[in-house]
Amino acid sequence: MGMEYWAHFFTLIVLVIGAYLAVFLRNLLASVIALSAMSLALSLEFYLLHAPDVAIAEAGIGAGLTTAIFIFALRGVRRD
Amino acid sequence: MVGKALKWVSFLFFAVMLIWGLTLIHPFGEPLQSDMDSYFIQNAQKECAANNVVTSIVFDYRGFDTLGEATVLFTAVMGVTAIFRGVMKK
Amino acid sequence: MRMSKIVRTITALIFWAVVVFGLYVVIHGHLTPGGGFQGGAVIASSTALFLVAFSKEEFLKKYKDAFLSLAESGGLTLFISTAFLGIGTTFFYNFIANSGGIFGNPVPFGVNNGDLNTGGTLPPMNMAVGLEVFGGISLILFFMFLGAYLKPFNKEESEVHKE
Repeated sequence: MGMEYWAHFFTLIVLVIGAYLAVFLRNLLASVIALSAMSLALSLEFYLLHAPDVAIAEAGIGAGLTTAIFIFALRGVRRD
Repeated sequence: MVGKALKWVSFLFFAVMLIWGLTLIHPFGEPLQSDMDSYFIQNAQKECAANNVVTSIVFDYRGFDTLGEATVLFTAVMGVTAIFRGVMKK
Repeated sequence: MRMSKIVRTITALIFWAVVVFGLYVVIHGHLTPGGGFQGGAVIASSTALFLVAFSKEEFLKKYKDAFLSLAESGGLTLFISTAFLGIGTTFFYNFIANSGGIFGNPVPFGVNNGDLNTGGTLPPMNMAVGLEVFGGISLILFFMFLGAYLKPFNKEESEVHKE
């Protein structure tokens, strides 16, 4: 029950909360932001598990590029 | 009524099976077969002359994987370009 | 389509920092965590930042899309040809490692200070894959950005969308 245990614990709590919000939020833009936050927490979890390669890939693709593509798609769907 | 009961029963069945499987999983950080890992850790720095063993596995020992990944990305970009090829003229 | 002046100024400040960090990840791929794929994705995220903040014309002023597809196909060709250069022994053979020339210094076993002049064929392959991933993901982002502003096909459909 050291420091690392609690770091894992809180990162996984943030991960689950982000995933729940990404599914159940009504506002689509907020849902995309929640997905991005979940991806960032997942990259932190990969870093805590001593896999920095996967952490960089997850932070770059999951939190950066996927969010941008989703926001472009939302802009295209909504005509106002 | 029956549909709701069926939903809950299937949910409970899935959850119990998942938790049972999690208890049977191998302990974290102790792989069953470690011959390949020991070989890479002992010899990768000498054979590939790189400090990052992950990169030397990805680009040298398992190069075909990376070749396939690059080809998949190339094919995806080709498909997107083929779909949106008329957009540039507008 | 352009965003506010604050967003544009911050983007102009951050853009080259993101590009330089991606180049660092690519070039030091055989020493530190990361590599071609991750570094290329970081450089491509700078493209996403630029597209969100600025407009299509300013992006086309910076990169021609012919340049992006040239980067993509050229990176893949460089990767495959670097792999084929070692065909004397096997495909993907690391023939430059420990040869003493460029990228050819030997590495001691265990924890040591990194030397950039090591790695054999790994640094050229990292750069090739980084170029390919940058070009490919930037092209996908650019075309999806253009597709997001497509006009509806006919008049009735646009009337339906307006309600």
